[in-house]
Amino acid sequence: MRLSRLPLSLMLSITLPTTLLIPPAALSAPPGARADDFPTSGRVEYVLECMQKHDGKYEYLYKCSCVVDQIAKALPYEDYVAMSVALRNQGLAGERGGLFRDAASVKDMASKYKQIEAGANKACAVPQR
Amino acid sequence: MSLQSRLTCLAGCLALVAGAAFAADSDTARLTKDPKNWAMQAGNLSNHRYSELKQITSKNAKNLSVAWTFSTGVLRGHEGGPLVIGDTMYLHSPFPNKVFAIALEDQSIRWKYEPKQDPSVIPVMCCDTVNRGLAYANGKIFLQQADTTLVALDAKTGNELWKVKVGDPKLGETTTNTPHIFKDKVITGISGGEFGVRGRLTAHDINTGKVLWKAFSTGPDNELIVDPNKTMTWTDGKMAPIGVNSSLKTWQGDQWKLGGGTTWGWYSYDPELNTVYYGTGNPSTWNPRQRPGDNKWSMTIFARDLDTGMAKWVYQMTPHDEWDYDGVNEMILADIKVKGKPRKALVHFDRNGFAYTMDRVSGELLVAEKYDPVVNWATHVDMKSGRPQVVAKYSTDKNGPDVNTKGVCPSALGTKDQQPASYSPKTGLFYVPTNHVCMDYEPFQIEYTAGQPYVGSTLSMYAAPNSHGGMGNFIAWDAGTGKMVWSKPERFSVWSGALSTAGDVVFYGTLEGYLKAVDLNGKELWKFKTPSGIIGNVTTWEYKGKQYIGVLSGIGGWAGIGLAAGLTKGTEGLGAVGGYKDLAKYTELGGVLTVFALPER
Repeated sequence: MRLSRLPLSLMLSITLPTTLLIPPAALSAPPGARADDFPTSGRVEYVLECMQKHDGKYEYLYKCSCVVDQIAKALPYEDYVAMSVALRNQGLAGERGGLFRDAASVKDMASKYKQIEAGANKACAVPQR
Repeated sequence: MSLQSRLTCLAGCLALVAGAAFAADSDTARLTKDPKNWAMQAGNLSNHRYSELKQITSKNAKNLSVAWTFSTGVLRGHEGGPLVIGDTMYLHSPFPNKVFAIALEDQSIRWKYEPKQDPSVIPVMCCDTVNRGLAYANGKIFLQQADTTLVALDAKTGNELWKVKVGDPKLGETTTNTPHIFKDKVITGISGGEFGVRGRLTAHDINTGKVLWKAFSTGPDNELIVDPNKTMTWTDGKMAPIGVNSSLKTWQGDQWKLGGGTTWGWYSYDPELNTVYYGTGNPSTWNPRQRPGDNKWSMTIFARDLDTGMAKWVYQMTPHDEWDYDGVNEMILADIKVKGKPRKALVHFDRNGFAYTMDRVSGELLVAEKYDPVVNWATHVDMKSGRPQVVAKYSTDKNGPDVNTKGVCPSALGTKDQQPASYSPKTGLFYVPTNHVCMDYEPFQIEYTAGQPYVGSTLSMYAAPNSHGGMGNFIAWDAGTGKMVWSKPERFSVWSGALSTAGDVVFYGTLEGYLKAVDLNGKELWKFKTPSGIIGNVTTWEYKGKQYIGVLSGIGGWAGIGLAAGLTKGTEGLGAVGGYKDLAKYTELGGVLTVFALPER
């Protein structure tokens, strides 16, 4: 089984409830949900971007699909969206980029997501880029 | 001549005569009255961001789906939104400030305009290379380029009609605001408060670009265009003349020359009063100890006669700013009951965390209340003096340079930045995108060098402590009482302009990239994940009997780059502003306009 080859960090994030930034009442996703709830469009978007990062090689259709499926098992879609946005915007230009760079809560989200994605990449034989 | 052609001539000739009689006025205000159009960035002269369209309602909004998308080919922050006039959409991009005329019928590009600008303007833009959109009047499209060039294009062909430069990027002067068309004039401002720029507003002739008046925010009375005896301000609980040298007296020596007070926000216009309203930004530098005094008229609401530029009244919200709380946010004109009495009001959600309701005729201060309870730098606004009562421990001036003042709310981003709120005349309420962010602020001594940042402060931002943990809220506000009606928490700050409609739906976008529809109680009806974070403003229009909702997505860090860049291009497209293949007629990579409609039954 693929899951058994996942690194400990990813296993942990699958087993443990996800830390939410906003209390559950404010959000639609219940705490710790392992809903595997990514919409198809969210998965396709991830795969296209991931393929792009790897020069569009066709083998990455399969490898990147594997990665997003792993991430979807680790995180509810809402959390994935917020955490991946936190990581992406670490380099946002200007004063307002500080919102992403300074805030500990956002930096935490970014580093947690980075870790989950790295684990999934490793499990799916996708080199880190 | 046949009877028919004579009749045509008759109608045509009458139109010509009518045209000549009202030659002074542009058609913009008239076009905004047809809800099928979206003819100004804010929808109308009053900055309402409201639409009478009601095909999309709180009942059916959950069915909204993607109708079409359009990519601008530019990978930077996308603010503002499209204009729609008749069967054509006009869309802009961030630097290099491309303009597209798009046929609504098949989304083909009618024409495209791309100005040549010196890229050295990019590093002197403090806050990304944004542009807040185009303006339209009398068959012309107006673009305010980053390098301060104001250009008029033929709306049919995209050909340049005239160009005029309103600033000098070598001095740190840039432009990000939309041009505003009021009556027969195009009004524009200047950015660069972080570079010691001296803020001003200029009025131009629509047909030639000629400068008709230029009114500075700081300096001698004649350059401010004020009348010491007739320009009024709130003083000891009533309106009183501002007196001579009202600005000069509040600066040390020549500091007013680098005084800031830039004008990059959303202006409005009341045709009955022939008055234009706008706000001015922070005084330079951010180190308050270097500029003792009230630093007038930075951080000020200005009401000026449109024809002469003469200031009718002024109100300074944050005298002697110590936190970068620019006063440029949108000025919304609304006829509402304030404390039970009908008023011609001006409502302004300031960066400093207070929502102001003014009498826009007289300039009287009516309401000033916090629109986020965490605001702590001032206890309240004293209604007699009109001054905020600053809390000593949050005063970066009292604490002084090289001291880190901690826990100031809001942060320098303000409780709200430029992202414009919406006013619904149907509910009488304001729907406001906000920041829920605090900061530590440490000013330091800085010398002025032309064209170099003149900031003089380091700061660190974080989500408001002891709250819901998120960095934003979307709120409904009653400006007549100064009370919040509801507040919907968001994980990130809300940096997208709102839209409310007669269909009882309110729209806004989030930094995760969701476009959200909520009902009049703030209940989420629908959301859709667009390819990138949304800092653009939501827009609506009707074409061939169908209502559409459109919003630009795209912030610096790029989501969906794979989609946007196309899979054939390799990674070279990442971050390269100009490095894309021109696909002539259809989509390009980059920031995306996503357009939604209800599905066919």
